[in-house]
Amino acid sequence: MKFWKLLMFSALLTGAAVAAGAADAAPYTVKEGNKVDQKTLMGWRTWRALACERCHGAQQEGLVGPALVESLKKLTKEEFHQKVMNGNPEKGMPPFSVSKMVVDNWEGLYGYLKGRSDGKIKPGHVYPMDASAQSAQKK
Amino acid sequence: MRYEYRSMWVGVAAVAATVASVTAGADPDLEKRMGDPSNWASQAGDYANTRWSDLNQINASNVGRLQVAWTLSTGVLRGHEGSPLVIGDTMYIHTPFPNNVYAVNLKDQTYKWKYEPKQDASVVPVMCCDTVNRGLAYGDGKIFLQQADTTLVALDANTGKVVWTAKNGDPKIGETNTNAPHVFKDKVITGISGGEFGVRGRVIAYNIKDGKKAWTGWSVGPDSDLLFDPQKTMTWTNGKMAPVGKDSSLKTWEGEQWKLGGGTTWGWYSYDPKLNLVYYGSGNPGTWNPSQRKGDNKWSMTIFARDLDTGVAKWVYQMTPHDEWDFDGVNEVPLVDLDIKGKKVPALVHFDRNGIAYTLNRETGELLVAQKYDPKVNWTSGVDMKTGRPTVVRQYSTDAAGPDVNVKDICPAALGTKDQQPVSFDKKSNLFMVPTNHVCMTYEPFQVEYVAGQPYVGATLTMFPAPNSHGGMGNFIAWDAANGKIVWSKPERFSVWSGALTTAGDVVFYGTLEGYIKAVSPKDGKELWKFKTPSGIIGNVFTYQYGGKQYVGVYSGIGGWAGIGMAAGLTGNTEGLGAVGGYKDLAKYTTLGGSLFVFALPDGATGATAMNQR
Repeated sequence: MKFWKLLMFSALLTGAAVAAGAADAAPYTVKEGNKVDQKTLMGWRTWRALACERCHGAQQEGLVGPALVESLKKLTKEEFHQKVMNGNPEKGMPPFSVSKMVVDNWEGLYGYLKGRSDGKIKPGHVYPMDASAQSAQKK
Repeated sequence: MRYEYRSMWVGVAAVAATVASVTAGADPDLEKRMGDPSNWASQAGDYANTRWSDLNQINASNVGRLQVAWTLSTGVLRGHEGSPLVIGDTMYIHTPFPNNVYAVNLKDQTYKWKYEPKQDASVVPVMCCDTVNRGLAYGDGKIFLQQADTTLVALDANTGKVVWTAKNGDPKIGETNTNAPHVFKDKVITGISGGEFGVRGRVIAYNIKDGKKAWTGWSVGPDSDLLFDPQKTMTWTNGKMAPVGKDSSLKTWEGEQWKLGGGTTWGWYSYDPKLNLVYYGSGNPGTWNPSQRKGDNKWSMTIFARDLDTGVAKWVYQMTPHDEWDFDGVNEVPLVDLDIKGKKVPALVHFDRNGIAYTLNRETGELLVAQKYDPKVNWTSGVDMKTGRPTVVRQYSTDAAGPDVNVKDICPAALGTKDQQPVSFDKKSNLFMVPTNHVCMTYEPFQVEYVAGQPYVGATLTMFPAPNSHGGMGNFIAWDAANGKIVWSKPERFSVWSGALTTAGDVVFYGTLEGYIKAVSPKDGKELWKFKTPSGIIGNVFTYQYGGKQYVGVYSGIGGWAGIGMAAGLTGNTEGLGAVGGYKDLAKYTTLGGSLFVFALPDGATGATAMNQR
């Protein structure tokens, strides 16, 4: 338990550093509200495939689960990572460490949700930024 | 091969069953209790699922004086579906997860016993997002609880001690339970949930005495799993009943997709003792992305009629072949005898999620009537009575549009013109009293991969009130099942997600998402009485008599899909929102709760009314 708390504390510290540095390096790139970089696109696809909207709402506004447009204003990247991987079964959040798609794409998912929370990415469908990514999607 | 053996065995079993019913009787305990309208001995009040009561102390002329008699907190803030049971001087109460059971003494509302199961909380996320339970069953001196974690528990009705338990699924692969178990004769029937997790549906029958598994009837897969006799199991084909033939399910799937075939069985079950047939519907096939599972996907979205002793299917009828909208076929199947075109027919009536109400001959499986029970239903132009198939309107076909295309303005929405909220039957007018949803949707399917225990959905939806209508999201209607016609329709602000109750007192009761319990006239839907409970009502209204007095009760506690749907409207697509309706308004009316409300007439009210009527 003690170890856990310490870990959380240090995560908070690290988080603060990341947040401080975040001003010049957003974890996503977006154009025209819904055209995003490949990593963020995969994050959104992960969101969709794992049916996150069933608890967090189609526009991340919160349903049974918390409003992520709000949570992402406070959560650090590492806190987000921990919450997604460990879940909170009592409250209905599954531990997503068992999902390969989440393990592979959690950073993109963080980026996507951060973009939603910042109001930079519009709700709903997002699309690849460039044509080469478009063809990757068609695969 | 297996079948020859089976049918031989069936013959023996049939003889044995006849003998048994003469000597020990099937379950004389439950049948006796159900025969006395003072009790509410099963979730629907009877085997036939009519939700009708012969009690008439509370009637159309005095119902306006109904008052709260007593209340009780369930201690759980989640969606409360189903209803308590009443057997003699005891009421049996259930809760959503963690599925507590309380036996309450009706004399003084003290607790006789409490059963509080310990369930692994990891089942909660798999049930995402609400943890409803549709209630208990009674029979053979036992109370049956179907826990969320797929444990079926038999409790001694007098002491609450566990008599036996059985495991009917595995939450690690997304299998959970929300359905009520059902007692028919000497069996306890249960199903499985997990239609959004690639679960393969089945119905399991246990022996009531010892919990030994009697049979399992799967919804999809090989004939031996389905308990189908390819030559004797019938279905509606070209205007008449014909054998389903060999591999009737396997032929309608690509490769091994049937293994993730869905067809879960989380609804209500009914039983005809004369025919010895159990009736129920199966849920949606595999993923919600239709282009990922070509074919009719049999026998998802299907009404099954199975022999209670053997599980062998006598006939099947698929409402929505190759589902493209999540129109689960699990809604209840009430059994009533109707006059259809001058002939008395042993019928069953089924208000499907797809917006069509079906009347079938319950003995033969013949299709008699299939009509829309909400004029806004637009995905189909109607059912071809020869083939029994709905004609799909291309504009609303999510399969024709393909993945990553958002199909707009489909009516009804995925939660259907009606979902699990059960109808009641008015034995006087032969009309059904139907709680409905009046909601439409957009539906965008997408490619999804199966991972055991992870959601296997593959579609993004938004829901909104039916456009160009009264602005509300529900109606409470009266339906003529012999002719397939709406007789009257009472608009409601929100979906009516509460089960109805009709009584011999010429009153029909139901609850609303705002939290009202209402009494209306079955003749014209005129409101006679209403009372605001603390939370939205998604439970079913029930009635009983104790100490010479009639009571009416209902759970108050919003949740379930409707509860989630309500919040879904908060900032949802604006099309159709605005107006008066929209689930977003619901937050203005109610909040979470978990209580039981019991109503009665004030002392002297029944006498006074009787005098007035003289």
